[in-house]
Amino acid sequence: MRDIRHLLLLSLSIALLASSACRKPAPPPPTEVVLFSAADVPLDPSHTAWQGALEFTAALIPQDLVEPRQLTPSTTAVRVRALTNGVDAAFRLEWTDPTANDLPGAARFSDACAVQLPSKIEATVPAPQMGEAGGAVEIVYWNAAWQAVVAGRSDSIKELYPNAAIDHYPFEAPSLQQSPASQQAMTTRYAPARAVGNPVAGPRTTAVQDLIAEGPGTITSAPATASRGQGVRTAAGWAVVIVRPLPKGLAANAPAQVAFAVWEGAHEEVGARKMRTDWIPLALRGNP
Amino acid sequence: MARTYNWQIQREMSYWYPESRPQRQFAAVFDINKCIACQTCTLACKTTWTSGKGQEYMLWNNVESKPYGFYPLAWDLKLLKLLGPQEWHGEVYAGRTLFEAAPAGTRVLGWRPDDQDYAYPNVGEDDCAGVIEKGASFDIPHLAWFFYLARICNHCTYPACLASCPRGSIYKRKEDGIVLVDQSRCRGYRECVQACPYKKTFFNPLTGTSEKCIACFPKFEQGLQPQCFANCIGKIRLAGWISKPEQASPDNPIDYLVHIRKVALPLFPQFGLEPNVYYVPPIHAARPFLHQMFGPQVEQAIETYRRAPDDPDLAGLLGLFGCTERVVPRWLREKDWVVGAAEDGTELVRVPLKEPVYIRAAFDTQYQVARVNCP
Repeated sequence: MRDIRHLLLLSLSIALLASSACRKPAPPPPTEVVLFSAADVPLDPSHTAWQGALEFTAALIPQDLVEPRQLTPSTTAVRVRALTNGVDAAFRLEWTDPTANDLPGAARFSDACAVQLPSKIEATVPAPQMGEAGGAVEIVYWNAAWQAVVAGRSDSIKELYPNAAIDHYPFEAPSLQQSPASQQAMTTRYAPARAVGNPVAGPRTTAVQDLIAEGPGTITSAPATASRGQGVRTAAGWAVVIVRPLPKGLAANAPAQVAFAVWEGAHEEVGARKMRTDWIPLALRGNP
Repeated sequence: MARTYNWQIQREMSYWYPESRPQRQFAAVFDINKCIACQTCTLACKTTWTSGKGQEYMLWNNVESKPYGFYPLAWDLKLLKLLGPQEWHGEVYAGRTLFEAAPAGTRVLGWRPDDQDYAYPNVGEDDCAGVIEKGASFDIPHLAWFFYLARICNHCTYPACLASCPRGSIYKRKEDGIVLVDQSRCRGYRECVQACPYKKTFFNPLTGTSEKCIACFPKFEQGLQPQCFANCIGKIRLAGWISKPEQASPDNPIDYLVHIRKVALPLFPQFGLEPNVYYVPPIHAARPFLHQMFGPQVEQAIETYRRAPDDPDLAGLLGLFGCTERVVPRWLREKDWVVGAAEDGTELVRVPLKEPVYIRAAFDTQYQVARVNCP
């Protein structure tokens, strides 16, 4: 009986050794975000071209360096794939978020994400948190509420509060309807941020905005937004593609750095209250 | 945090930025005893500034009944509860201001109203603090009371909205101390909505930026009082300039009421913002409630106010309220007349110390009809 037991154990050990010898070792997880070459960079997060890019999982940490600080963590990781067609750099960000938050309100915050690169690709990189004086960073910011407007939600309070009752807007008075210019002028007067051309104020035609920063609290709109973006809900959260011009100076032999941030609206995250990454190496490479 | 001096709490306190007082500070006095909550001020502001899309819920000016009226809901109670019991030692505030009580990771102790909190601006309207029992007597203060509290932005010397904005989108104008949101820079983070204890910054969901009372600065720059002042039919308001206490000038109407006669008091001075709208407290309301709301000088202010009929200077100046749309930076009494003047002494308005009373006969002999007294 004892011999039979020994024989069985021996057979099992040989089988396990044989099995492990045949299996290919798992590739190590990527340590950098790689921009893989592609004929085109799709804006659609579900496009099959994204399967051709290796996925990098970036750990997110709370922004707890400047007030207002994020003291309790929320989203823990963002999965990133990147493609380039030689002209544009495209990043596909995907993260887990059980709640879709795309309605603005006094205490309603939108889900959002951002991609950050140094303004200049050089050996010295600026501080990872929004850059520093003399070390500017370029940020492309995507916002779920903006995406909803671009996707067709009208610019009306009824869309945000279906039960709202509005008696009257003075710029919709019948007397003004014969003069669209006067009507528009009055409408603008009652929307001061639009009147002064604040890009966040709309009317909105894109779900992203190009920004420049030289340290916390300095973020400002780029002269124009050249980037594009599109976000969709997935079964588990959000998948967002951000397409921006390929950074000048980025080459196979001149790697760069990239950083990401995610805002969880349900956690009342906005502005500095966010989950962010440190700088992550960004490499340019051919097809995987 | 910097150390700054706040004369309303008579001590130094911590603030996010160093003390930087404007060249002149916009200020106002509201006489609560004269407010009838007609909401003309509210509508004057609404039609002038907040009739746009996304501004539907905003009332930069509102009038609420105290103790049970709020806009937004329980704005003062929630903050007082968050701050917890604090103490005054005489006229020196010994407790913590909102800046000193800021939780870790933030600059100001605050809370952010939910959409629903703005939905009932008339909740508690005309609700008494208690029921009238049989046998109750009519006395001062009243056994059961309520009063109307008209509120605008206080254009504070130490604004919490300004301190809380992480990107410096809120600024205090050097020339008049009016606090404004830079509409070209704001990104709608709503830190100001959370930080302002008076809840006088508002988020516009359609433009994605925050907005607030601007003290009608386009009017004020022309020497005219804001819309909510000029349209007040109860004549409860006076806009002008306030000096630091040690520089108070008796011929400045605001200085006279606030610093010299101490009859007008700041709203919740213990919060530490040095607000610049001052209230003549209601004489009939419960003193502990008023003490909490206006600070330890409330008894003295009420006593001074009640003696106004025998005090021609004070009564005269209170009679100047609402008599002109012009800002009145100087005033003087000439026997039975009170004169409002410009900085250079030019007379702007003249009102009698006491309005003349005419009593007509009950029967009009000319037309052979009985006269009917109509209000």
